[in-house]
Amino acid sequence: MVERPELISVVVERAIAAERDLADLAESIEDEWSYVNDLDAAWAARLTEVAAGRGADPARPAVVAAVDEAIAETRAISDPHRAIDWLSTFPQVVLLALGEQG
Amino acid sequence: MRFQDAARDGRAVVYAAIQAEPLVARAAELIVAAGTPEQILARAVMNGERDDPEAWRRMFPSLFGPEVPAAQRSAAEAVLAVSLEVAGRGDQVRSQVRGAIVEAVTERLLARRGSTTGPAIRRERRILFDGVAAEIHPYDVTVEMAGRAEAWDCKWGARGINADVLYQLDDARTHAADEDERLVVGLVVFDAERSCRIRLDRQTAPHEATRLVAIEGLADLSTPR
Repeated sequence: MVERPELISVVVERAIAAERDLADLAESIEDEWSYVNDLDAAWAARLTEVAAGRGADPARPAVVAAVDEAIAETRAISDPHRAIDWLSTFPQVVLLALGEQG
Repeated sequence: MRFQDAARDGRAVVYAAIQAEPLVARAAELIVAAGTPEQILARAVMNGERDDPEAWRRMFPSLFGPEVPAAQRSAAEAVLAVSLEVAGRGDQVRSQVRGAIVEAVTERLLARRGSTTGPAIRRERRILFDGVAAEIHPYDVTVEMAGRAEAWDCKWGARGINADVLYQLDDARTHAADEDERLVVGLVVFDAERSCRIRLDRQTAPHEATRLVAIEGLADLSTPR
């Protein structure tokens, strides 16, 4: 049986969840609470926009691997300051893998 | 309006040693020669936790995939290697090295404007105005040309944008205007423009006349203002 490729919407959904987890970690820097949540909301909106446009398309295996590898990198982060940096870096990596602009 | 070398205090001496590291120059040369995707790779790796190059290659299929031309892949490999070298430094040193790299990138991109601009580019300079107390912190990179002067502050990430730096840049611009001089002021941030705009939107310090050059638009620095 041939496995069906994942849809872009499913891959993006995983990325948005990982971005939210990063934001949860970054929120522990109290002075940056609002900034962290603004970043999370803005990038989630951008990723949602991509899913709305191309979500029904199949994701190439290399794209799925790229996004999952980027998610794995976010899971390796335990420092909330590093998490703030990655709130911006992670969605850029995901968008690049999807062939989208930031 | 006149420019002056910053005082050589202890912090400046230590940081000068970081700025002079061959690794900084090597990374800056590669980043300047690269496109935005490779620059995003550099930022990710230098910000990263893991040191397995294969993981990073999988994360960037548009740079390392089998369909990528050899020359482009080779350029990306060079960026990956130097970025892993930076990431391999201890946290505190890595942070200083990254800051120095953004400054070195800015300097090199400005120098691409041509032979008349190159000699006018300086690092770690203060700007003095008649009757105005000098700022403590020097500007990272200045272009000291009559009638076309520029002062740039360089940041690794959008989080580095704060009220102090915005006030300093805007004050310099307005003091210059008071002396009938034109001074372009701006921020070079090695981060996504979207994140920089979010950060700026939260600031009440004046920044309407402060230029922003984010990672996607680094090449714009090579265009005269």
